[in-house]
Amino acid sequence: MKTLRLLMHNKVGFAGFLGVLFFLFLAFVAPLFIPLDTETRVDQIYQLPSAEHILGTDFQGRDIFSLIVHGGRDVMVVAFLTGLISTTIAVILGSLSALLGGWVDSLIMAVTDVWLAIPQLPLLAVVATMIKLDSVVLTAVVLAALAWPSLTRAIRSQVLSLRQREYVQAAQLLDLGNRHIISSELLPNMMSYIAINLVFAMTGAVYSQVLLVFLGLVTLSNNWGVIINLAWTRGAIFSSMAFMNILAPVLALALFQLSLVSFTRSLEEIFNPRLRTSV
Amino acid sequence: MTQTTARTSGPSVLMRLRAIATSFLARRILKALATIFIVVSLTFGLVRLMPGNPIETYTFELMSQYNMSYQEARDQAAALMDVNLDAPLYQQYFEYLGKLLKGDLGNSYRSKGTSVVSYIKQFLPWTVFSVGTSLLISFTLGVTLGMLMAYRRESWLDHILSTIASLASAIPNYLIAIMLIVVFGVQLKWFNVTKMRGSLSPGMTPGFTWEFFADAFYHAALPITVYVLTTVGTWMLSMKSSTVQTLEEDYVTVARARGLSDGRIMTSYVGRNASLPLFTQLAISIGFVVGGSILIEQMFVYQGIGQQLFKAINARDYAVMQGIFLVITISVVVANLIADLLYGVLDPRIRSGKE
Amino acid sequence: MTINDGLLVMTKTVLEVDNLSVEFPARRGLVKAVRNVSFQLYEGEALALIGESGSGKTTLGLSLVRLLPKTARIREGRILYRKDGEEQDVLLLSREGLRAFRWRECAMVFQGAQNAFNPVLRIEDQFIDTARAHGIRDKDKVRAEARELLRRVHLDPDRVLKSFPHELSGGMRQRVLIALGLLLKPQIVILDEPTTALDILTQRSVIEVLRSVRDEFKFSLIFISHDLSLAAELADRVATVYAGKIVEIGNVFDIFEKPRHPYTQGLTQTVPTVTGELRELISIPGSPPDLIEPPKGCAFNPRCPYASERCRQEQPPLEEVGDGQFAACWNWREITERKPL
Repeated sequence: MKTLRLLMHNKVGFAGFLGVLFFLFLAFVAPLFIPLDTETRVDQIYQLPSAEHILGTDFQGRDIFSLIVHGGRDVMVVAFLTGLISTTIAVILGSLSALLGGWVDSLIMAVTDVWLAIPQLPLLAVVATMIKLDSVVLTAVVLAALAWPSLTRAIRSQVLSLRQREYVQAAQLLDLGNRHIISSELLPNMMSYIAINLVFAMTGAVYSQVLLVFLGLVTLSNNWGVIINLAWTRGAIFSSMAFMNILAPVLALALFQLSLVSFTRSLEEIFNPRLRTSV
Repeated sequence: MTQTTARTSGPSVLMRLRAIATSFLARRILKALATIFIVVSLTFGLVRLMPGNPIETYTFELMSQYNMSYQEARDQAAALMDVNLDAPLYQQYFEYLGKLLKGDLGNSYRSKGTSVVSYIKQFLPWTVFSVGTSLLISFTLGVTLGMLMAYRRESWLDHILSTIASLASAIPNYLIAIMLIVVFGVQLKWFNVTKMRGSLSPGMTPGFTWEFFADAFYHAALPITVYVLTTVGTWMLSMKSSTVQTLEEDYVTVARARGLSDGRIMTSYVGRNASLPLFTQLAISIGFVVGGSILIEQMFVYQGIGQQLFKAINARDYAVMQGIFLVITISVVVANLIADLLYGVLDPRIRSGKE
Repeated sequence: MTINDGLLVMTKTVLEVDNLSVEFPARRGLVKAVRNVSFQLYEGEALALIGESGSGKTTLGLSLVRLLPKTARIREGRILYRKDGEEQDVLLLSREGLRAFRWRECAMVFQGAQNAFNPVLRIEDQFIDTARAHGIRDKDKVRAEARELLRRVHLDPDRVLKSFPHELSGGMRQRVLIALGLLLKPQIVILDEPTTALDILTQRSVIEVLRSVRDEFKFSLIFISHDLSLAAELADRVATVYAGKIVEIGNVFDIFEKPRHPYTQGLTQTVPTVTGELRELISIPGSPPDLIEPPKGCAFNPRCPYASERCRQEQPPLEEVGDGQFAACWNWREITERKPL
């Protein structure tokens, strides 16, 4: 109850939260009721929105709304898995790096340095041709493998600043062990930071995976990226008829990203008591 | 706050500073070179791990295009490429490194006789031009608006700009590009998308003429708009939060107490300190945006290095891929190096060797 | 411990604060940080404003040069500044007039001078900046003046002028700020907790410096601190501030020898602390008052051992309790001996 009130406190954040809820519903619940339209109807190509097809039809005469409804799940699952994996790696390596210092720190930082110097996007394209990215999990793993270094650096600097606080120093003096320090002292204090980074990692994952699909490098079944890709290659740049076909998935993606980013505002307030009680 | 005493004066200070600076610089440069070397080696392996090789890809292309038999196509492809892909990998690697040291990036496999260096020379300027211009616009605009937002914190102007900034930075750049094309190009017909393709109009000769520059900007306008739209929000928000923090600093209050004029405080006291962290970000983003241009150039058919990279990946043109990867890597590493050094120049606290 | 000559004949008033009230909006309501404060600052004297953190003393100091945060509102009152027979209300100054008033007429040396200087400018440039803001464009003259002042505060001018702020220690920065404060020969200098966050030796040297420059430049000084013992070393008169009000004011001897307000009395018995505000005033039980809803009657009554029914109902006015000594306490007559709180 209290969390809900905090959630509603920041208007932008709450709007983001509602947006995320909406998309979750759209992607996971709505498909149960709305069947995926796979029929090709040559006589109904590129129809404008009507009562029958509320978002119109695509280049094959399929109902765009049903495509959108069924195309969100993979995008979200990949985003969430990527965020989870990369954030987990980042939290572990980042805190180890900050707490142990010395050669461990130098090594981890050197690795992130090199990793970040490799051009990410082209690398992604190359990796995508090497591994056949046809499963959701595999795609998430590959994306996470690319996303962890910058996150690790962020977590490391956060731990470094937390380490200066008295309670962590006390725990270190008492020799409570790094595992204890990480799990009992640092993690609880970093929850907001981690949660927000997780969400941003998710937006990053949405960005990269749709990009991969759009470039034709990932062969997942129907998803928003695929719809965009098909619409694009079928000439959305020339035909003003294809308007809804391409704009619907673009807007769905854009709004989903926007919801995630806005939602972090609320997360900030929930986890950071200093922000909500001024004076 | 480690320093409690001032440094001793005299020539020894100068010498010590110089020693710190040179070793700092030397260490940084060494690290940068090592990074470049590792990345070059990694990409060398990576590129060859990709399924298919240049000859094979071309073979299949010929087969499907001209209806040749496999053997026929293969022979023609092999003859055109004139490369020995059967040599042991380590031999190819050392050969590549040896040439690299001499500044020779090899020849393109696909376009026979075109050296990778001339390839890069031809296409890189366009990417640097479009990305550089947009970065400049976006940074200047972002810093100005960010400061404005911080000075008018909680006003309607701040709220509107904040919303726009987070909107713009939340939406992926390729989606903005699509919307731009579909909505303004195809639907509203504000501009002709096909005519704006390429980096120059056909028949335009480069030179210091007004027509040339106008044409260059005309063709770069869409990529630049997309880059600016997607990055300006981040600059605005960073600058705003940095300025808000700086405004709280004691020295700003003291500057006011000292009776300094608002303009002087805004530029030398608030602006200068608040933008410090942004310059590092700027240097770093220069490196990254070059790598990120691949998609936007592909979408707008802008003939820059990104589009060429995409082509090279599809053709498995190892030499061109490696060459472009090298350019991107170097720009990232050098940008980081510049960021480090720049921060030292701009912030005296770092200059004196404090970590 | 030497105490300044308290027998100065003080006639001319350089600053007169008249019924000043300052408020801040907060979520729970208005914070009444300064409530109907009136006092006078005489030419050449040092007046100490003493109070706990959160008593409103810093707000009071900031309002004198109108450096209050944007949200603050001056509800009523006047701040009259007098010079050469002319009088102006600081609160009515134009933007430009205010800018000229600051530092040239009234310099404020801040709490935490650690960050008082722009980190990216050399000390020298910050002196020149200040002078130029007040129309002095002759850099060499400013440099010479700065050198002289830095020497006065026992610093090596050659080294300090060429330094960046971070290259100086905390004590040095504090002294540089004092020197900078004197650059334009202001008539009034306000020092807000000038020695907090300094170690005890540095505190001593800063106090010595302050005393010597005051002897030399004869400016009027307002000294804001939580530490009464520090006030004893520098001040001619002392005013104690509680819950945004001046509860007692008088010359430094009287305040120490025969305080007439129980709060002042408590302060004189407080063990002076070295490290700062964390442990201050531990000997007065109870917590500082709520400035949003101050206690009814005398704000000090919940903590006061002398509190009577009247104290809980009516606010006591500041009344004369001795020669030039005023206290706001209904029971001031009872407070004659030192009684543990």
